Amino acid sequence: MINKVKASLSEKILFIFLILLFLIAFSSYFLLKDKCLFVKKINPNEINFTYKENIVVMNVECGNVIIELDPVMSPNSVERFKSLIKNGSYDGSTFYRVIKDTLIQAGDLEYGNIDDINYTKIGTGKSGLGLLKSELSDEFEFKKGSVAFARKDNFDTEDSEFFITLKDIPIYQGEYTPLGKVIYGIDALEKIKSGNKSAYVLRPDYINYFKLLD
Amino acid sequence: MRILLILISIVFITAVKADEIYNLIKIPNLDIYKIDTKNKIRYLNTSNDFRIGLEKNITCARTDPNNLSNKFLIIKKNLNSYSPSFLKKNNIRYLVMCENLFISNINTGGIPDTKKRTLIIDINFNPKYFERMIHHEIFHMIQKSNSKYFDEEKWVSLNREDFEYAKCSTCSDRLNLDLYKNTEGFLTEYSKSIPSEDMAEVFSFLMTDKAKVEVKSDDDMILKNKIDFIKSSLLKIDSSFKF
Repeated sequence: MINKVKASLSEKILFIFLILLFLIAFSSYFLLKDKCLFVKKINPNEINFTYKENIVVMNVECGNVIIELDPVMSPNSVERFKSLIKNGSYDGSTFYRVIKDTLIQAGDLEYGNIDDINYTKIGTGKSGLGLLKSELSDEFEFKKGSVAFARKDNFDTEDSEFFITLKDIPIYQGEYTPLGKVIYGIDALEKIKSGNKSAYVLRPDYINYFKLLD
Repeated sequence: MRILLILISIVFITAVKADEIYNLIKIPNLDIYKIDTKNKIRYLNTSNDFRIGLEKNITCARTDPNNLSNKFLIIKKNLNSYSPSFLKKNNIRYLVMCENLFISNINTGGIPDTKKRTLIIDINFNPKYFERMIHHEIFHMIQKSNSKYFDEEKWVSLNREDFEYAKCSTCSDRLNLDLYKNTEGFLTEYSKSIPSEDMAEVFSFLMTDKAKVEVKSDDDMILKNKIDFIKSSLLKIDSSFKF
């Protein structure tokens, strides 16, 4: 005759723990898979801007990023940036250089487009418009969300590549040409894919489209 | 559990570390010491030993906080002798403070790099010459940034005809930094190494002990001409420059 075996208390606890573990794993698979889940969606049409002509909208995987440009601080650079946005040059441009929680960089128009990415030459491409003179400012503070033209080691080598800071970087003040500031949607940029052990990203995220508000 | 902890720590240790300062001046392991300064100089501290240069031949060690806080006051006081515009014209922007600076195994007080607008200073350099060394190294940045005003051939012609400098600053044993009693055209033994070091010695004495060297130059025409050369060249760079 077989006696009914009663589960001990520790066995019951283990059983409940396994069920909980399964539920957490199952739900987090769906929740964590969507990296944009907690990113606030920004609709530029619902916002009133004082200087519409200086507003640009960058669309990335997790939504819209609104940037206010500063043509007074860097007139020539902002003009170049706007003209590249206007003709769609940045559409598909990859964030090939990402330092987690620090900065993201895109804008290599020659070798950094998602449709024709060249990993061996990325970061050395040109826009074909020539180099710009650096427009440095000791007034512009590189707070989180600052947008600036990238350059080579020397000044006056700005072209089309730009970076956005994901934290305050005071040492950059007076070192890079400022373009403007992110005013909405910085959390969408914080979700941009970063490299594992390098600042350079394999199969990087990219700009869906970049346009002037006006 | 131990294996799990080890795995977690490996993930954290190998994670990409942002180094914004490295991006700018290509020296690793630095952090900001003070950047909000009147003359726009950015003082950087060495938080971990570094090794730089094409053949990794430049080495310097991390600073001791107490040592640094004492030396920083001296460095800052001396750097404050220069205006922001003068420093900008001479590509002096970053000052890296570290301990025991060596280049190719030779101990040195400072290494100037005008391309990166950076001066590396060994805060353990002999205290007797420390302040003068700062100005000496700054002069090298001034000269490199304005070589047209510091023609070495012209400088050599100020010496006696029978005098010859060494072939390089480190290939002679003329290293003493003490001020000569009888100058005879040269302030220190190190002045006799190469023309640029001779100029830097004159400049550094003018910055730290102007009255003394000017008295010496009253009886030393070569030295007097050298002082005039340095003064007039500096005025060409910045008409408001004062010793």
